[in-house]
Amino acid sequence: MSWHSGHIHTALVTIRANRGRSLITMFGIIVGVAGLIVVVGISQGVKNEITNQVNAYSNNVISVTSKAATLNSFGVSSVPAVSTLTNQDVRAISKIKGIVVVPLSIMSGVATGEQSDSNGIVIATSGQLLKVLNQTLVYGSFFSGSDTNPFTAVLGSTAAHNLYKKNIPLGFGLNWRGQQFIVDGVMNSFQVTPFSSNSIYNNAIFINQNAIKQMNLGGSSIYKILVRVNKGSQLTKVDREINTILLKTHDGDNNFSVLMPSQEAQSNTSVFNLLTELTISIAVIALFVGGVGIMNVMLVSVAERMHEIGIRKAIGASNRQIMSQFMIEATTVSVVGGLIGIIIALIIELGLRLTTNLVPTISWEIIVLSAVISSLIGIIFGSIPALRAASKQPIDALRND
Amino acid sequence: MALIRLEDVSKLYGFGDATTLALDEVNLIIEKGEFVAVMGPSGSGKSTLLNIMGLLDKPTHGSYKLSNRHVDRLSISQAARLRRDTIGFIFQSYNLLPRLTVLENVALPLTYKGVSQTKRLKQASAMLERVGMQNREYFYPYQLSGGQIQCAAIARALVNDPSIIIADEPTGNLDSVGSRLVMELLTEIHKSGNTIIFVTHNPELTRYATRVVYMYDGTIIQDEKTNIGEVAKTAKERHYKIAKKTVDDDLAGVTLLMKALPDKDVRTANRISRSKEKKKVKTNRRKS
Ligand SMILES: Nc1ncnc2c1ncn2[C@@H]1O[C@H](COP(=O)(O)OP(=O)(O)O)[C@@H](O)[C@H]1O
Ligand SMILES: [Mg+2]
Repeated sequence: MSWHSGHIHTALVTIRANRGRSLITMFGIIVGVAGLIVVVGISQGVKNEITNQVNAYSNNVISVTSKAATLNSFGVSSVPAVSTLTNQDVRAISKIKGIVVVPLSIMSGVATGEQSDSNGIVIATSGQLLKVLNQTLVYGSFFSGSDTNPFTAVLGSTAAHNLYKKNIPLGFGLNWRGQQFIVDGVMNSFQVTPFSSNSIYNNAIFINQNAIKQMNLGGSSIYKILVRVNKGSQLTKVDREINTILLKTHDGDNNFSVLMPSQEAQSNTSVFNLLTELTISIAVIALFVGGVGIMNVMLVSVAERMHEIGIRKAIGASNRQIMSQFMIEATTVSVVGGLIGIIIALIIELGLRLTTNLVPTISWEIIVLSAVISSLIGIIFGSIPALRAASKQPIDALRND
Repeated sequence: MALIRLEDVSKLYGFGDATTLALDEVNLIIEKGEFVAVMGPSGSGKSTLLNIMGLLDKPTHGSYKLSNRHVDRLSISQAARLRRDTIGFIFQSYNLLPRLTVLENVALPLTYKGVSQTKRLKQASAMLERVGMQNREYFYPYQLSGGQIQCAAIARALVNDPSIIIADEPTGNLDSVGSRLVMELLTEIHKSGNTIIFVTHNPELTRYATRVVYMYDGTIIQDEKTNIGEVAKTAKERHYKIAKKTVDDDLAGVTLLMKALPDKDVRTANRISRSKEKKKVKTNRRKS
């Protein structure tokens, strides 16, 4: 109807006339909408990166970690202090048919090259590791001569660079805990993205687990057991079997976690997800507070404009028309607030793109959603003042001067 | 057939001890084309009577027929529609909405009728021309004189082409120039067939009316037909009585002077009668 446009015009004039007051009224909406868009944008951006990144493990790899380990790792590439996984667990899991089991043990001690030391961690593992990692070697092989000489090492790309600079390190010597190792291979580098633990492998020095036995270093702590299932259809069955076996070897103590391939990536973002939810709830609270602010200002406005309401009714405005007028005013205020919030969010996201390595996504869905939410707030919180305005008797409204 | 027919109309305000009888079984018939002045002291029920006739308020008792139709029990929205289509209002002050231009103010009743923007602005513009305000269309109310504001209010009251114009003290805030402007405009509208009912405290303005109704304490105490151009007889008598009674005037010795200057005469008398009314209101308040 044509008179609606008139009310939107009047509402905009009112907003412009009381710029300061309008801005305060809209503040909650602006903060809420901007917060919502930025947080959802960052969260979506990070999730996109996680799904797009090349997984460190090949398909159908179940990873078993200690509960303590996941709690400590918080999605960042930290290493657990104590692990509950043992060689006994590895042996027990190995009995399952149609799988490849690869334990990863983190060893203490610094590896020394011919010129420099490495700050990378030393991981004892088996020659099967290449079968579970989604990665290839640039040079050499993975523990090829292990039958004759178990003292061989494979370097991650960063570790290779740190130890031997620009040289190709094949055949070079490596000292760890007084034992000489021969560099047998060098790995291609894993793609490094935020919220992934891939960087740990780039800086790792992999040594043959048989060497540990020969060096008589007992009690190595197993940080992770990777289990590749040969047939993808067996994944859930193997997952269940591992759980049963480990519950038995751990005397019923559920201090380990068995992660399916899809869960592995997600576990890195669980804390991040929690933060996202928290921030979104703060944004929702801000939106609510914004709505209450609008209601408050509209109630004051209704009281101030009693005479106007009286005049409008005297010249023929129905209750519904007065009601719509105030609803439209409230909605205009909150929609304008929402638009300002959207603009601020876009500026913040642009700033984040330019100054950090975060790539927040700007989706039309969330912008439309914000616009819808802010108009809903106007409608919901504007309805009480509007009802109050509409229910005034014209003579009472006119008498009010 | 009477345009307005009030039968035993009473209006009560408030409850219990605080009840006010604003109208006490008023009977009044107004024919189409009459130009009625309503006079009487403050608090005598003039506004209440006009509000009921204008469908802004409902009688507590009695019946009201407008164009032979019972309108005393209309729903809120029915009353709003009938008001919009048949009645134009002019109030004493704050008639125009301050944030709208004169043109937008005049177009407002059409807005509620659902007339398209271009059409309603055109009609409003024509109406402003009729009241001689065509060059003030885009002014805001604060840029106008009191008389101009009332002229714009008249234009707005007329824009819906109502058959009845109700004006509660339209000249109450105006000087003599403004009052004349407004009354001459109303006269012109009256000539084109509208029924006009207005409240005034100024006996001089009964010159414009065809009939004067006097109210006191919620009842009509006198109802007289007058000729256009003449001050109504009762109004004249009352106003001289009041003027003679005034102690201030006797002390100053201006009573005689006033008679020599009839124009000023009216204004002073008017002011005096008002200050008396105020005193009356104060005592009324103390009572309640
Ligand atoms: N809304 C109301 N509530 C209570 N009393 C009212 C109300 N409106 C009018 N009155 C009372 O009714 C009487 C008539 O008032 P009104 O019609 O405004 O008089 P007038 O217009 O002649 O000055 C007064 O005593 C006034 O106090
Ligand atoms: Mg009055």
